[in-house]
Amino acid sequence: MLLFYCLTDTVALQQLSCYAFYYLLIIYFNIDFMKKSLYLLVSVSVLCILIFLASCTKDKTEPNPVEGMTKVAEGYATGAAAKVEVYTKESSLTTGYTKFYIALYDSISGKRIDDAHIHLNPMMDMGMMQHSAPFENPASTEAENHLFPCSVTFIMSSMGGTWTLDIEVHNHVNDKEGSITLPLTVAEPASSRQKSFTAVHNGAKYFISLISPAATTSKVGINDMEIAIYKKASMMSWPADSSLSVILTPEMPTMGHGSPNNVNPVHVGNGHYKGKVNFTMTGLWRLNLDFMSGTSVADTTQYFDVTF
Amino acid sequence: MLGSGLSVFSQSNVAQMSDDSSRSIELREIQVITKERTDRQRMLHFYRTNPSSTLEDILARLPELTLIRRGTYGMEPAIRSLSGGQINVLVDGMRIHGACTDKMDPATIYIEPLNLDQLQIQTGTQGFVNGSSTGGTVNLITAAPSCHTDKKLNGSITSGYQTAAKSIHEALQLNYSTGQWSFLGSSSWRKSDTYRSGGGERIAFSQYEKVNYSITAKYQLDQYNSIKADYIGDNGWNIGYPALPMDVGYAVARIGSLSFHHEQAGKPLYKWSAKLYANQVRHYMDDTHRPNVPIHMDMPGRSLTAGMFAEGALLLSRRQQLRIIADAASTRLTASMTMYEAGQPPMYMLTWPDNRKDQYGTGLSWEFRADSNWLLQSALRLDYIHTGLTTQEAKDHISILGVTDADRNELLKNLSFTSTRKINSWLKGSASIAYAERMPTATELYGFYLFNAQDGYDYLGNPGLKPEQSLQGEISLLAHGKKARFKATAFYNHIRHFISGTINPSFSTMTIGANGVKNFSTLPYATLAGLEASLLLKPVSALDIISSLRYTLGKDNNEDPLPMIAPLKNTSTIRYQFSHFFLQLETEAAANQHSVSRKYGEDKTDGYILLHTRTGCQFLIAGKKTDLQLGIDNLLDKNYHEHLDWGNIKRPGRNGYVMLRLYF
Repeated sequence: MLLFYCLTDTVALQQLSCYAFYYLLIIYFNIDFMKKSLYLLVSVSVLCILIFLASCTKDKTEPNPVEGMTKVAEGYATGAAAKVEVYTKESSLTTGYTKFYIALYDSISGKRIDDAHIHLNPMMDMGMMQHSAPFENPASTEAENHLFPCSVTFIMSSMGGTWTLDIEVHNHVNDKEGSITLPLTVAEPASSRQKSFTAVHNGAKYFISLISPAATTSKVGINDMEIAIYKKASMMSWPADSSLSVILTPEMPTMGHGSPNNVNPVHVGNGHYKGKVNFTMTGLWRLNLDFMSGTSVADTTQYFDVTF
Repeated sequence: MLGSGLSVFSQSNVAQMSDDSSRSIELREIQVITKERTDRQRMLHFYRTNPSSTLEDILARLPELTLIRRGTYGMEPAIRSLSGGQINVLVDGMRIHGACTDKMDPATIYIEPLNLDQLQIQTGTQGFVNGSSTGGTVNLITAAPSCHTDKKLNGSITSGYQTAAKSIHEALQLNYSTGQWSFLGSSSWRKSDTYRSGGGERIAFSQYEKVNYSITAKYQLDQYNSIKADYIGDNGWNIGYPALPMDVGYAVARIGSLSFHHEQAGKPLYKWSAKLYANQVRHYMDDTHRPNVPIHMDMPGRSLTAGMFAEGALLLSRRQQLRIIADAASTRLTASMTMYEAGQPPMYMLTWPDNRKDQYGTGLSWEFRADSNWLLQSALRLDYIHTGLTTQEAKDHISILGVTDADRNELLKNLSFTSTRKINSWLKGSASIAYAERMPTATELYGFYLFNAQDGYDYLGNPGLKPEQSLQGEISLLAHGKKARFKATAFYNHIRHFISGTINPSFSTMTIGANGVKNFSTLPYATLAGLEASLLLKPVSALDIISSLRYTLGKDNNEDPLPMIAPLKNTSTIRYQFSHFFLQLETEAAANQHSVSRKYGEDKTDGYILLHTRTGCQFLIAGKKTDLQLGIDNLLDKNYHEHLDWGNIKRPGRNGYVMLRLYF
């Protein structure tokens, strides 16, 4: 028993072996003191279990939908009588595909607005010129868990100018429309998640964003891979692209090896491409991406680095 | 060997062949045993090995065994060229799983010859009773404390030195008994520098240092029943592996058991015992002492095994005897690798993704003496084995290989029949046939980019591997006269689903400089055939001549040679003993091995002839028995390596040694 005690490192096993040891002592020596202390031990354990069980059946108040998210901007959409709050799951805004979660409140009663039509318009003002960026409006007028998910792909940081996000709100509760322009500060992340290239086959400029894997969610094993591809049609038009095919080749530049059984991202809708990337160990991984248009090469120079 | 051990100086190693397919060897030097161990037919022969040598030196002299060598220390035993998961290496019947993914820590390293009482080797047809295996079982039986009532402390002190590696060996053994209680404690320390090979070259990274200690306490409940508690601790550090790209920083084993023994002659169930055991091995490899490594890495591993078994021997009738064993064991393994590159986060992966193996089995061995000339034996073993990955992290690793369910449940079946017939008064013949299965190992099922330094490939496990199935036969002839004893055995082993590595050209290597990636997969079959012969002569009482010969041929289904097959080898010893003095000469001769497996990175190995000499005497110092042995191994300073030595690392050259043992 003592042997087991020494060899096991889990507390539970040690506790168990402790009980068993006590029990044996009681059986063999019928020691009153031991008996009492065993009862004490058992009753303390039972109490612990009860407390644990009690903590599991907690109060049933609704969880906060923006728990753990960062509020990046807020303001009033004049005309729609709505307060607009913009959240992300990141701690700050960086270049690349950025998922936003918009919460709307009635500007007077403060009640949540769960039915609204929202339209985005991101704008970069570089002084000499202005351009927009790829974005995705909320897919539905119904809020999901009181939030309207949408996205903006920041193709550059605020170093080169000023980012603003226009949010037009059609409040279906009061049937009023209004808008707000929110200034946003976008930094360059440590490892770029946003790249662009001029395609060899047609000379068009494509912007690619790495959506996943992120450093924080990557693991040794199979990871979901998602990228978004947008084509620059004009300064103000950045449509999603579904015409390219993608070849994924991950590698560890430090070691010079890759990984097996990866799945090339394929188009799943709205310029999003999904596949699988396999990491065989932690560390710095380079996701090399080749883009093809049919059988013609669009680009073979792009990669994203993921370190975890 | 019986009676008062203190008066029996002499042969340190005694081999007895209890029957024709199993061999057990007694190595104890001080034995105070009051009753005879077995009533089985005994053949005694003496291997004089250096008492300060390691267990491996002794194992290497047995015809059924070969040793796969990756370093000076931690050689992996193979029975008839089968090793690793194909055989069982047990300590007092306990399973101990190595914690090293490179198999640098076979269980044999935890037993010092000083603590070894018996070495039981059972080849394939009998070797699965203790656990399903296609190759057999090596069971190391440790010494029990001797029981006497004089309440005196006795024991021995050993000190030895070897020149080739400038190695020191110090050991202490103590025995104390009150009659009811008896205790045996021992400790040993070995420190070995890098050794010089034949011709004088120092082999870098061949050093090691280790401490081993064991405590056994036995309580005699009554005439028939006793309780015994055993504990073995083994700490090794700075262990170099010249044939591998890494060394061992430290290796720690903790082996404990509690057992109950019953022995009552005359009763049908005349002997039974039960044991509870647990052991833990931690093994920490690193390459911090290696120059010019592309990336520094650590590879720690850990194994934890707990189990129990009960075994008994039952006399069914005057002619029939049954041995029964029921056992259960559970092993958990984990090993990882971390590589360090300046300015980057560490690169970490599991090389043995956390896994467990639960095994429940029962074995039967039946002996039927049909008439005075005819003995029939049968053995049976059933094992239910579950293996699986235990953590999500481990499952995520293996999922990369396209495996969604890595759990395995197998029922393994083993069965054998042996018939032994006395042909005439001096000749006996025996034939046996067996079907046996073995479970793929954790490395073969779940190994994740494990680098094999022999063929230079990264190996990937395959959770879908089928168990290996072996159909084997063995024929032996035993001739014995008053002054000579000769035994020859021929065996044939046909193994279906033979597990081996297949190159996967589409995968990229993980290890820098590796040749490629291999997946464990099964060959349709492989065959092993071989011959073993041993001759013991005692022309006059002072003279002993022992000679053993072995030859094995291994082929896969394409008739390509199997790797790690030792060539034809002969070991011959002649010893002359007069009074308390002996002189011994030994030759070790191996043929060329030109039948090699290129696929596994093997090359041809030249034959060699070695000459070893030894002398020893016994005298009294202050009334205490003292044993002195001197010898020179590889007298001709031959520069050689054996075929089973990884990386063609040269073996030690001329090695002089001295050993002094004082009994008190």
